[in-house]
Amino acid sequence: MIAKDLHKSFGDFKAVNGVSFSINKGEIFGLLGPNGAGKTTTIRMLSTVLAPDSGQIIIGGHSMKSEAEAIRSIIGVCPQDLALYEDLSAIDNMIFFGRMAGLNSQDARTQAMANLKLMGLEERAKGKVAKFSGGMKRRINLAIALMGNPQLLFLDEPTVGIDPQSRNNIYENILGLQKKGMTVLYTTHYMEEADRICQRVAIMDGGKIIAMDTPYQLKSQLGSPDKVTLEDVFLKLTGRSLRD
Amino acid sequence: MKQLERVWLIALKDLKIFMNDRTAAFFFIIFPLMFIVLFNTVMKGIGGEDTRLELHLATQEAAGSLSYHILGAMETTDESLLKPGDPKIVWDKDYDAARQAVENKKLAGFIAFPADFTQALSSGNSTSLEVYADAGNINARAALNGLAGAISSQIGTNEVIIKASVALLIEGGVISPTDSAGINKAVQQMMTGYFSGATNTGASYITFKTDKVGEVVAMNPSNYVVPGYLVMFVFFASAIMAESIVRERKNHTLERLLASSVRREAILGGIFTGAAIRGLIQIVIFWGVGILVFHVDMGLSPAAVIILSILMVIMSAAFSLMLATLARTQRAAGSLAVITSLVLAPLGGCWWPLFLYPQWLQNIAKITPHAWATDGFNKIMVFGADFGAAVPSMIALLAFALLFGLIAVWRFRTSAT
Ligand SMILES: Nc1ncnc2c1ncn2[C@@H]1O[C@H](COP(=O)(O)OP(=O)(O)O)[C@@H](O)[C@H]1O
Ligand SMILES: [Mg+2]
Repeated sequence: MIAKDLHKSFGDFKAVNGVSFSINKGEIFGLLGPNGAGKTTTIRMLSTVLAPDSGQIIIGGHSMKSEAEAIRSIIGVCPQDLALYEDLSAIDNMIFFGRMAGLNSQDARTQAMANLKLMGLEERAKGKVAKFSGGMKRRINLAIALMGNPQLLFLDEPTVGIDPQSRNNIYENILGLQKKGMTVLYTTHYMEEADRICQRVAIMDGGKIIAMDTPYQLKSQLGSPDKVTLEDVFLKLTGRSLRD
Repeated sequence: MKQLERVWLIALKDLKIFMNDRTAAFFFIIFPLMFIVLFNTVMKGIGGEDTRLELHLATQEAAGSLSYHILGAMETTDESLLKPGDPKIVWDKDYDAARQAVENKKLAGFIAFPADFTQALSSGNSTSLEVYADAGNINARAALNGLAGAISSQIGTNEVIIKASVALLIEGGVISPTDSAGINKAVQQMMTGYFSGATNTGASYITFKTDKVGEVVAMNPSNYVVPGYLVMFVFFASAIMAESIVRERKNHTLERLLASSVRREAILGGIFTGAAIRGLIQIVIFWGVGILVFHVDMGLSPAAVIILSILMVIMSAAFSLMLATLARTQRAAGSLAVITSLVLAPLGGCWWPLFLYPQWLQNIAKITPHAWATDGFNKIMVFGADFGAAVPSMIALLAFALLFGLIAVWRFRTSAT
């Protein structure tokens, strides 16, 4: 995946202001930054939902401008906000989006069950999503993104506001997916999370990427990588703490 | 093919959600039926199912005059020959007593032939029928005016034929052009002949007129109460669903769909199809209940009634889609749906039959799809017209549907970037 000089403004406000990066096949790439940094806007452009004002996107060799359809068929998106039909059961949600991704009825059902199992939710398959806990909804939200076995997965803050158990389940799954050859773009504003699962990270602030490297390299610039956190790296780069 | 399948899957998904939603079901089916039952009962007061509309006629002329013959021919002698919805024609022999009855509100109104009727017609002078009616009783007045118009036009037609015949008689030397008494006699004989001729067919003379008059109010109020509320609630239920489309956008599921391999047109098509299927379920229930419980009569052309209903559903679904693409928030969509439904329904003749409105209001009403729909239903189900009479309504509904649909597609394209 290659993104080149992406720009997107909402009115006068430049939400994304010249973002360029690329992700290698099989990599888990982290896009870090505080709320409002422009991570979600970047993902929305990469996932063909939002048209950039300018810039170039190439995914799997397909250019966004001319082959958006081809791109849609190889990506999976787990949006930051829960994108679920609350009035349908978990399995119905999964099957529906599976069919939308182009699976036939049989494959959609098989994959839905497999992914629910992966998320530890197979017992609640027939339960209405509205009755699920926040963590369970998050896991379903992620499971849906896996329908159709996408080659590139966009995960936009998949662990925000959930219990540690669900969070650990999600970490394990992401690492498991990578083993199966999936490429992942992962955004978060929890720096330690990125440190734990990402091979490379880009730190975003104010619509721009201000640093990009492996977590190890970024931390080494400040001192011993074992003692320094990415949090400190951000503080050093911007003069601000992340959580204010 | 794949995209068409997705259209269908999206529609099915929406239906599944709808079926799980009890409040939606209430607004779709139970609530409208409650209204129909309520208003059907209220409207019965205007013209109960068992009391036939009676149209009274009288004459100020003496026996043996032309109007006597006409009245004799028109008077309903055997009520059992009348079809449902046909008015009963009553000949009030005493003109002054009839007037008194109207003054005393015992009679809604009547038509009277003037004292100079025979004389005027045979001498070729104009004359006018008198409609004497209680000003407050709009229904009776409309019906009487219609009937009076029908009688005059029939007489007018006959007169032309008679004049031509008399001219032929004179030309052929049968009557002398100076023999005015002879001419008068011939005219009177022919005129009487035309009207007496109708006696043989019994009520058929009036039936023929009823079509032409187009203002005789049907006896079964369900015939306009049911279609009126069908139009209102199909539209309302559909419009209110705009809220759920906006909710879908807010729930970010739309975003998920946009990032999947579904074409934008297929998403819109799926939502539209779901809305249309819900509407179709609704009209099947409406007509089912209407026919079984309220004995509505689809008139000469049930096909026209069905096509009008389907077009009403399509138009409403398109409106809902347009509303959803125009409104930014769920709340805005909901309010817009309620406001448009509540304003357009009475203006479009869903609460009271449009033909009772003054002409200028009827003209304004034409900007609403409701008016076209109710007008079409009324023509078939109240006035007994045939399929052709409803075609303008069908075309108008289709045009509204296209307009709403195009705006929706255009807005969806420009807003979902
Ligand atoms: N549709 C939009 N309209 C206007 N402003 C927006 C829109 N989407 C995002 N923004 C603004 O752009 C900035 C970046 O948002 P976002 O990409 O969601 O950041 P992040 O995901 O890093 O928290 C924020 O200030 C947000 O308010
Ligand atoms: Mg975000």
